[in-house]
Amino acid sequence: MLAYAILAGLIFGLYFSLVGLGLNLVFGVMRIVNLAHGDVLMLGAFAAFWLFKLFGLHPVLSIFAVFAVFVAVGWPLYYLVVPRLLRAKDPEMLSIIFFFGLSQVIVALASIAFGSSERSIPGRVLGSGPYQILGQSFPAAWVVTGGVSALAVAFVYLYLYRTRLGYVTRAVMVHREEALATGIDVHRVSAIAFGIGLALSGIAGVFAPFMLGSVTPAMGVDINITSFAVIVVGSLGNPLGTVLGGIAYGISLMFMQTYFSSWANLLPYLLLITILLVRPSGLLGRKVRSA
Amino acid sequence: MVRAKALAVFAVIFFAVSAAHAADAPAEIKIGTLYASSGNYAGVSMAQYQGLRIWLDQKNAEGGVMVKPFNKKIPLKLVSYDDQSNTATAATLYNQLITQDKVDILLADFGSVLTSVAVPIARDHQMLLIDQTGSGAAFFTKDNPYIVLTSLPMSSVWPKHMTDFLVKEGPKLGIKRVALLYATNDFHGTQAAAVRDAIKASNGAVELVYDNGVPTNTSSYTVTINNIQATNPDAVLELGYVNNDIAFLRNLQDGGIKFKWLFTIYPGLETEVVEKNVGPKGMEQVFTYVPSSVMEYKPEFGMSLSQFRTTWNSKYPDGKVEFGFNSVAGYTTGLVLEKALATTDSMAQLALRKAILGQSGKLKTIDGTFEILAETGAQVGEVQPLGQISLDEHGEVKFVTVYPPELATGKPVYPAK
Repeated sequence: MLAYAILAGLIFGLYFSLVGLGLNLVFGVMRIVNLAHGDVLMLGAFAAFWLFKLFGLHPVLSIFAVFAVFVAVGWPLYYLVVPRLLRAKDPEMLSIIFFFGLSQVIVALASIAFGSSERSIPGRVLGSGPYQILGQSFPAAWVVTGGVSALAVAFVYLYLYRTRLGYVTRAVMVHREEALATGIDVHRVSAIAFGIGLALSGIAGVFAPFMLGSVTPAMGVDINITSFAVIVVGSLGNPLGTVLGGIAYGISLMFMQTYFSSWANLLPYLLLITILLVRPSGLLGRKVRSA
Repeated sequence: MVRAKALAVFAVIFFAVSAAHAADAPAEIKIGTLYASSGNYAGVSMAQYQGLRIWLDQKNAEGGVMVKPFNKKIPLKLVSYDDQSNTATAATLYNQLITQDKVDILLADFGSVLTSVAVPIARDHQMLLIDQTGSGAAFFTKDNPYIVLTSLPMSSVWPKHMTDFLVKEGPKLGIKRVALLYATNDFHGTQAAAVRDAIKASNGAVELVYDNGVPTNTSSYTVTINNIQATNPDAVLELGYVNNDIAFLRNLQDGGIKFKWLFTIYPGLETEVVEKNVGPKGMEQVFTYVPSSVMEYKPEFGMSLSQFRTTWNSKYPDGKVEFGFNSVAGYTTGLVLEKALATTDSMAQLALRKAILGQSGKLKTIDGTFEILAETGAQVGEVQPLGQISLDEHGEVKFVTVYPPELATGKPVYPAK
């Protein structure tokens, strides 16, 4: 049971790295808190559901459609919203209020459009039969989702650390005003990061029907709570710390489900309290300041 | 002459009283309720709400319901708010219905979680809570007359046929080791306790080898299933809401795991939504309750199941809310209210309760026989038999009732293949 819980936690944690990645990228670059993150993920989930239901599009292929559409929506949304928020005295608080309102609107519209019942995509679409990993048997959907999540993390790593755009994005993350003073087009860099952040949430949504049982318009609230725990544990503002936070969350959740199952929903809060008491800057907190 | 005078006086008094009654009659009876258009209980809450609406719209189309104290038909007005599956919001809105809207009749939202906050509020305001589907046994106490359960039995009664089958028939099939997994809320916790009690009373004929709760919002069961498998059970009971059951059955299917005997609640209660998410294959040979949305009772009051189903399909053709047991539950609440209003001595809350209790054992609806405990207001009728899902020659889901023997339509398949 122990070995299974650790391996399952690794796979589940990889998925939750992907879930938190977009949120942390947006926070890291813009210092705004996207409380509609879970709802963006929900929209990605419904996009994958309808693409599959109407056109039979494989979820792995719908990643590309979701990525393109969400970046295309995120880019102008940035120019419409974020510069105004950043001009405020307290942009973080204002962003919380704004995105909370946006979240409510998205949930209401999605409920009207899709209904409130559970929806999902058959697990066999991602592969038939369980896969064996180190002698343990896991659903194919989990293994594929874990693999895609790892690729998404690698994509973000390459984007941030191996491209010119990534260098300037990290410069903006370290100090927005100094980046502006050095001639970096901060708004363009931020708009791209915002679009990619939303797209990563959307991609996480594509796999939500496989990892979270089913999807509903109201699923965003729980996702938000878990995502915040993941990124705070990993380190706020450091997208790669999210990977560590996600894996810590995944393994802890599987241990809780194995040994203290009734209390498993307390885990995000327990992790948050523990990390804030022991290491408030998060597991990779130092690195973000020297990035 | 004296006789004629007396008759005239009587006639005057009769007409005066009648006129006074007619003048006192309200223009409408206000029914207050909550529904959840979003959140964890949205799908089932909306099904219940839409079932109630069918009854209400039908009655208003007929000019209202007969209200005995006024001896006339009075239209119904539904005052309803969206609690978004949130208990804090629900508590505020229940208060609003009582104190601001001053409803004549208060109905609870779906299920034990959203009803739990209404129980003390209704009691404090001495308002009768018409509890539609909140079946947590803790709600029903001898010292609280302000609650009645209309549309399903209290949760400790639910598993009666299932536990009887397990402890009486199970050992004959080779079932000895039982795993119990339940969502930690009133509804499932009470059922889990009833299962534990039945197994304990079996004197070792069957034994619990796994007994754990999980939070109601659990959406991933892969590790839990692995842990259950490690105990090598002959029978597995998973007691959860529809989201739990969908996730559990999907995780089983994705993991290529089939337990020899598996019971879950919602493949029976909300068959359509579970089928959409899990598929018929994922439900095959699963044991479940056979609810009134599947089983044709012979109603003596209100529509039959097929009539109700036809009405549902024509009223809600978009399919955004699936037909299921909770649709029937909402409609049944309406029927119980209709009977109560037609027989109550007054519109006082305890008079309404008395009228509802008066229907116990007499009212036979689409939902079976309404039977209620006078001491606590808990429903003990409308008990659902145990069934097993099989697939017909077209691969479509059908129910085989396996217990109790007098209702059985077939034999259980054990072990599941």
